Amino acid sequence: MPTPRLEARHASKTYGAARVLDDATLVVQPGEIHALIGQNGCGKSTLVKILTGYHAPDAGMELAVDGKALSLPVQWRAAQAAGVSVVHQDLGLVDHLSVSENIGIGGFKRTHVSRRIDWRAQDRVARETLGRLGLDIDPHAPAGDLPASHRAGVAIARALRDAVPGEGLVILDEATRALPREELARSHEVLRRIVAPGTSVLMVSHNLEEVLALADRVTVLRDGRVVGQGLDTAGLTEADLARLMLGSTVDAVVRSPAVRPEASAAAEVVGVRIDGHDPLDLTVAEGEVVGITGLPGTGFEQLPYLLGGARRGAGSVVTSRARVDLARATVPQCLDAGIALVPERRITDGLAVELSVRDNLALPTMRRRGRPWLVRRGWQDRLAARAITGLGIRSRGPGALVRELSGGNQQKVLFAKWLSVEPSLLVLHEPTQAVDVGARADLLRTVGETAAAGAGVLLVSTEPTDLVETCDRILVLHPGRPPRELRTSDPDDVLEAIYGVPTTAPSTVDTETGALHV
Amino acid sequence: MSDTEQLPATAVAAAPEQLTEPRRRPAWLQNPAAKYSLLVVWAAMAAYFWFAVPGGLFHTTGTFRSIFGSMQAMVLVFLAMSAVITLVVGEFDLSIASVMGISATTAAVLGGLHDVNPVLACLAAIGVGALAGAANAFFVVVMGVSSFVVTLGMGTVWMGVAEMVSHNNYVSMSSPGLKSFATTSVLGMPVAFYYGVGLALVLAYLLAWTPLGRSMIFIGANPEVARLAGVRVAPIRFGAYVAGGVLAAFAGILIVASVGSFDNSTSSSYLLPALAAVFLGTAVIQPGMFNPLGTLVAIYFLQTGILGLQLLGYDTWIQNVFYGLGLVVAVTLAKVVRDRAKGA
Repeated sequence: MPTPRLEARHASKTYGAARVLDDATLVVQPGEIHALIGQNGCGKSTLVKILTGYHAPDAGMELAVDGKALSLPVQWRAAQAAGVSVVHQDLGLVDHLSVSENIGIGGFKRTHVSRRIDWRAQDRVARETLGRLGLDIDPHAPAGDLPASHRAGVAIARALRDAVPGEGLVILDEATRALPREELARSHEVLRRIVAPGTSVLMVSHNLEEVLALADRVTVLRDGRVVGQGLDTAGLTEADLARLMLGSTVDAVVRSPAVRPEASAAAEVVGVRIDGHDPLDLTVAEGEVVGITGLPGTGFEQLPYLLGGARRGAGSVVTSRARVDLARATVPQCLDAGIALVPERRITDGLAVELSVRDNLALPTMRRRGRPWLVRRGWQDRLAARAITGLGIRSRGPGALVRELSGGNQQKVLFAKWLSVEPSLLVLHEPTQAVDVGARADLLRTVGETAAAGAGVLLVSTEPTDLVETCDRILVLHPGRPPRELRTSDPDDVLEAIYGVPTTAPSTVDTETGALHV
Repeated sequence: MSDTEQLPATAVAAAPEQLTEPRRRPAWLQNPAAKYSLLVVWAAMAAYFWFAVPGGLFHTTGTFRSIFGSMQAMVLVFLAMSAVITLVVGEFDLSIASVMGISATTAAVLGGLHDVNPVLACLAAIGVGALAGAANAFFVVVMGVSSFVVTLGMGTVWMGVAEMVSHNNYVSMSSPGLKSFATTSVLGMPVAFYYGVGLALVLAYLLAWTPLGRSMIFIGANPEVARLAGVRVAPIRFGAYVAGGVLAAFAGILIVASVGSFDNSTSSSYLLPALAAVFLGTAVIQPGMFNPLGTLVAIYFLQTGILGLQLLGYDTWIQNVFYGLGLVVAVTLAKVVRDRAKGA
């Protein structure tokens, strides 16, 4: 066994009471493409941030590059000197500057006498590094004019600029996310060229298709622990990886279906158009939980925002309270019709984190409960108290700022906020994203209770376990196909239905998609 | 003051996660170190001047009146409240002083040079203020241009227009009725002092206790969250600019009423003190938030400091130095205290 390029052992990170990374091990060999995968909140970004010196690890971690120990917390300059470089998710390119400048930034070649930037030498470095990646890009072109795959190449070239061919480790922190799927083959070639002389690549990703296509070996994290270390990708399928990432249904939330056969419809969705999909018709009965899922990035994620009036679209929704035409709908109209939307991004769309739990909870009901000249505190306090006990929100009290809460508790606040409007149709988007197991159970139990109280629930999610544990039926949406309906309690059935279909191009319909990985 | 338990600051600092709190203290008593530190500094400063200013000049009713009832303080209150309204919804308005200038010029020119009825002249001034606010709102809210750019540009425009209308001269307007509207003495203070305090109280009530005010705070904190909660974000932002313009116009009318004339070249000197007071106000009462009562306290804090220093013999330059330093030091201190209280 050769000396590993990077060897990290006993990596842990604790925030207060929460252990987000627990004794993780990561070993990357020379000349391999190693993938680090896991759900949001599994600890993979924490691990990368420890490696790049952004976070200090808990005591006890060991880290070595090419057998030489690095002192902890990581000093980024020392790591760089040892050959570690990183390409960030957003690539960090300045669009109006040239390719050459974008590659040179942070280490420009300078002339001997005047110490100004030696542009000719700089262009040469740029061309040379790009050449190593097999990319022919004009160093003078503005970075903003390049196609997506070339942009990623430029960012990688910057990372490789000072590396001796055959040495070093490039960390791609979700950097391949920016690539369109049809570029997958192309980026595969670029990565192969990097690792061929012996340089290593660590790619952080959550796209299983990409991981299987590009990586040699994979390390899987779940809830802060390594559940698969350095697995050979040759014998793995996407469903295998998904199962590792999601885990078995340890904390299974068993929900007995609450739909009575004679139940009337809570909401009828008629002819809703999602980009690239056929118009969708759907009826959610009172007390029913309907799951919606599909391949990430194929457009089904728009559904919650269309139904909530946050985004304009074609189609209509009929609830017991009103009929909403989605082409003209506003959020207040959808709210009046009893449609409540729990958005995916709780920090940007869901909660005002600088304000208190009570204020956030009271926001949607304010106009109904308060009079124009006075909003009383009493009902707000009662609402907050009910939410805090009902969902088990851990906080200093109703006056605590949302920012101070953990992710799971923030998500509970977001839930309670929208349950307080007593919706007839509750639309949830990725409700258990980046929350811990306990909070997940509380949240899913609440979904069940909401349905049992007579509301219809639409659960839009890519988590198969969430779907099978809470939904009465699951609709799998594929662009250009009729939705497939599942009634199952086995997450594998869902994965099979999502990934088992030959994939066609994602939402943007592109005719040039010859090379696709099934 | 009530007889509720007075806890030392350290007890407040240690606030572990608790599921149930035994007995909640009222909101205004929580975290007193962060909320009232500026008041303590204010008191200490006043005490210092009390003893340091020679000849006992500081402890006279005249001093009290020049801190709380000076024309400058009253104008600053209105101008600062105008800034608070836009800042609360997350916007910036750098044109308030110029809007005040054009409004005051309008009133003075109409009432003084053209002998228009003072009431009508004042209404015209308010109309101009509302119009200026609507112009800002059009570019910022409807066209989506950065509020910094728009209000800086429009402010300069209004300043120029005011110069044109007034030919860069003093414009006097003597109207006994208008003067008494601002300067009638009530319990030893000019009546405009009570207008300012009343305005701050009304605004504080609006923000804390009405759906409109709560919506404004959410728009400032996160406009997307507000929109998804059914708040009509655009009209409220628009309205904030218009209301800000109207309040700036009131500030201008106050100058004309109490001085009896207006010199357009002085209007820009009001911008920085007003903004300084608003930001300094984020360090008191509701730390970390733009709040009217905190702004009011900040204005009087600054006035006290400047008057005291002038009585100690410092020249007028001390005014700017004190505004600037007071702002930076007080906001920094408040942040330090607040971070400490959070317990990291």
